[in-house]
Amino acid sequence: MEKFKILFKPDNVEVEADRGEVLLSTAIKAGIYINSSCGGDGVCGRCKVIIDKGKFRTEPTGRITQDERKKGYALACLTTIEGDLTVRVPAGSRLDIKKIKEEDAKLLRLKGIYSQAEDTPEAAEEISLKEVFAHSPLATKIYLELPPPTLDDKVSDLERLYREIRKAKDVPIMQTGLTNIKRLGALLRQSDWKVTVLLGKRNETTEIVSIEPGDTSTKNYGVAFDIGTTTVAGQLVNLNTKEALGTKVTHNRQVVFGDDVITRIVYATEEDGLEKLHHAVIDNINEIIRELITAHKVNLSDVNGIMCAGNTTMVHLLLRVDPKFIRMEPYVPTANFVPTIRASEAGIKINPRGLLACVPGVSTYVGGDVTAGIVASGLDEAEDLTVLIDIGTNGEIVLGSREWLICAAASAGPAFEGSGVSCGMRATNGAIQRVSIADPQTVKLETIGGAPPRGICGSGYIDALAELFLHKILDRDGRISRSIKSSRIRSSEAGLEFVLAFKDETAIDADIVIQEQDIENLKRSKASIYSAASTLLRKLNLDFKDVKRFYIAGGFGTYLDIEKAVTIGLLPDLDRSVFKFIGNSSLVGSREILLSYDAFLKAEEIAKKMTYMELSVEPGYMDEYIQALFFPHTDMSRFASIRGA
Amino acid sequence: MAIDIAHEKYPGSIYAVEIGAAKAEGGSRESVIKVGGETTLPFLFNEGAIPNPPVVGLEVFDCEPLEWPEGLTREFGDCLKDPIRWAKRCVGEFGAKLLCVRLMSVHPDWGGRSSNDAVGFLKALLGEIKTPLIVLGCGDAQKDNEVLAKASQVVRGERCLFGIATQGNYKTLAASCLADGHSIIAESPIDVNIAKQVNILISDMGFSPNRIVMHPTTGSLGYGMEYVFSIMERARLAALAGDKMLSMPFILFTGQEVWRVKEAKESATLGLEWEIATATAMLHAGANILIMRHPKAAMEVSKFIDVLMKKE
Repeated sequence: MEKFKILFKPDNVEVEADRGEVLLSTAIKAGIYINSSCGGDGVCGRCKVIIDKGKFRTEPTGRITQDERKKGYALACLTTIEGDLTVRVPAGSRLDIKKIKEEDAKLLRLKGIYSQAEDTPEAAEEISLKEVFAHSPLATKIYLELPPPTLDDKVSDLERLYREIRKAKDVPIMQTGLTNIKRLGALLRQSDWKVTVLLGKRNETTEIVSIEPGDTSTKNYGVAFDIGTTTVAGQLVNLNTKEALGTKVTHNRQVVFGDDVITRIVYATEEDGLEKLHHAVIDNINEIIRELITAHKVNLSDVNGIMCAGNTTMVHLLLRVDPKFIRMEPYVPTANFVPTIRASEAGIKINPRGLLACVPGVSTYVGGDVTAGIVASGLDEAEDLTVLIDIGTNGEIVLGSREWLICAAASAGPAFEGSGVSCGMRATNGAIQRVSIADPQTVKLETIGGAPPRGICGSGYIDALAELFLHKILDRDGRISRSIKSSRIRSSEAGLEFVLAFKDETAIDADIVIQEQDIENLKRSKASIYSAASTLLRKLNLDFKDVKRFYIAGGFGTYLDIEKAVTIGLLPDLDRSVFKFIGNSSLVGSREILLSYDAFLKAEEIAKKMTYMELSVEPGYMDEYIQALFFPHTDMSRFASIRGA
Repeated sequence: MAIDIAHEKYPGSIYAVEIGAAKAEGGSRESVIKVGGETTLPFLFNEGAIPNPPVVGLEVFDCEPLEWPEGLTREFGDCLKDPIRWAKRCVGEFGAKLLCVRLMSVHPDWGGRSSNDAVGFLKALLGEIKTPLIVLGCGDAQKDNEVLAKASQVVRGERCLFGIATQGNYKTLAASCLADGHSIIAESPIDVNIAKQVNILISDMGFSPNRIVMHPTTGSLGYGMEYVFSIMERARLAALAGDKMLSMPFILFTGQEVWRVKEAKESATLGLEWEIATATAMLHAGANILIMRHPKAAMEVSKFIDVLMKKE
């Protein structure tokens, strides 16, 4: 087979490729992450690249305009290699795997759970985690000075170690691997009977994970993860002091294989598919860990435990367990409760003997991320009826109180995470997060970090839709008005669009727009979330009015305007004081579970006691969904407070 | 002891819509048709008022219809080649009180006549026929936006019923009808919620609700009619319970639905009976306007309406 050299710019990465190879695959091979919502089917048009030089073959597509074609634009997924190529990946096509800046991360850490109303530490206090869970992390270190054996005290080295550990800590069931036992005799004597033992919690059993000479007990770290379909977040934690040191957030690299869990499960059935998906997320995790420990000067070998909260499919892929049965009737996952394993078994690079645990999940489509969210929000102890909605690709809704819990999953799609929409991006620097419109010509924007805009994140879309609707630029169906005269409203190949920022104001050398197709996607997302919640309530003969607290979780960065979210019908029209935006509750819960075995047991208890309702077989769901496909809703009496409703 | 029979009392009512404008109102129609206005389910006189009977209209095209089965065309003979004559026969001979004109000739597959020619025909028809008119496009969104805007101007002040507005394409037609004083048909794909959404969208443009008629999209007997029936019934119950945005009268294109099914194409007798059966069932589902094709079927159904409207 003929080999060609492919040079990717501006990264200046060169790789070899076979004749006929699809350019998108070559890019992935080269470690260049290009947007591809459809998983390479030529449908989404997000993998645009510019071919500066060389021979290639590309299929015709409506996603590339005449003008673009002349400039050398092509879709990477429809282009095959016929010779040496120089390929430029424009900023707009690049999957943004740059990290949130450390300052942003701090904000996320300090206010892992915070109020949307007042973004102040005081407000954060109000609902921040109560100190209800005893400190008993996944990995504990104990420094021991063992009495050396004498003729009077002749118990074996291992029993001696157990005996001394039990003096320091109540651990009824202990086990040790052969690796440790083989080294034990020499190690104890060489270190003058002064050692640090690393104990790991493997459910009811405590394992001696490793034994180190001398006192290393202060060096004990762990990383808590929230593995979302679209976004992966990790937080470095000092397991001794419970202090969260820093957070990193990146795009889930699996996104190039499809936007939602179903596409990924299908991809996993293809040749090497499972392997690729598994590696993608493991790469995410290793990268986050590497960056966190570098930033905080922690040794990799001192990272002793990992806690992962993710939806059921994400956990399967993390562990390289085939997820295919999830989408086959009767929709049963391989495991909801995964036993703690060694992190290295999954390919995670920390202390080679360090542990990996996963937060217990509930069902096929409601995973440990939701359980973690409940642990974090304390919904399971609420006196009154409380709702938690996690606005993500796989949107989850939990309803209940201290007495009962019921949940459902709404396949919301990734629109609110900035994926599957023409100018969408994650909530990072340069993302438009606030939009206010004075008149159809005058738009005010606020971006994360105050940087020139690069795209629109979820909260930006919510703001923009609400403002466009209130100014009657959008009709209730989400169509842009033709009759309003404004240079911001114009036709494109994909229908009408509204320009939020013109090329010269942006950092991407292109206009930032909202297209009718984007609005359609966002409308579907908001409808599926609202209707899932209303269906769940109706099933129990309850009404939104009965809800006393309404937690909203999701990766919206630092901001979500509740009023605007109600205006578009994403959230119900309740007294606004009922709502609390709690940020990434899944990550906070994951951290708490990493730090406390009690919290782990609580998560397990929650997962067991929660009832799962499958919406797809619920008779009233479709009806609720169609009604919600309107701004704000077809039944206007439900949104009486909204102007124009 | 006499038994006291419980009667349902509905808080809502259906909007009454008028089609056609007489001279005094600035039009040129010799009659005006009023539909809707009921405060109860079809023909339940004991539970509410039914001020206006359902009405049957006959359908004419602005060109010779393609693909009409022989069982239907032979009722009209060669007048189908001359739409004005066809329309006159409908009114004079078959007693139609309402005429539905479909400007089919502009459709690319039907010869693609210019919209000016089609509108010229409409103007001529307006002079010859004195019944109220329903004016429909050809079904091609782009063509319809062009031809219906012109048609609306030509029959300005005649208070015609124009169609068809859908969720995806309602603004152009609604704007024309609003400017020229016509009423509008709002279509939805057999879905109560979407029906309501289209009504709201059109109302949001400034349309008063008593100028909107709903087309729920229907089917023929044997082709999902039961589903249509229950959807119409659901919408009607919601309207009577007070949902203003579902309280518009229904229009059904029964002729169009029936004469494309296999049974109607196979046998003229079967087709005639099929159209009568479908139409009478739809009357009970709440139809206010039935647009039919077979003149005998239309006459039979009109007679049947008279029987149903006798309160004893």
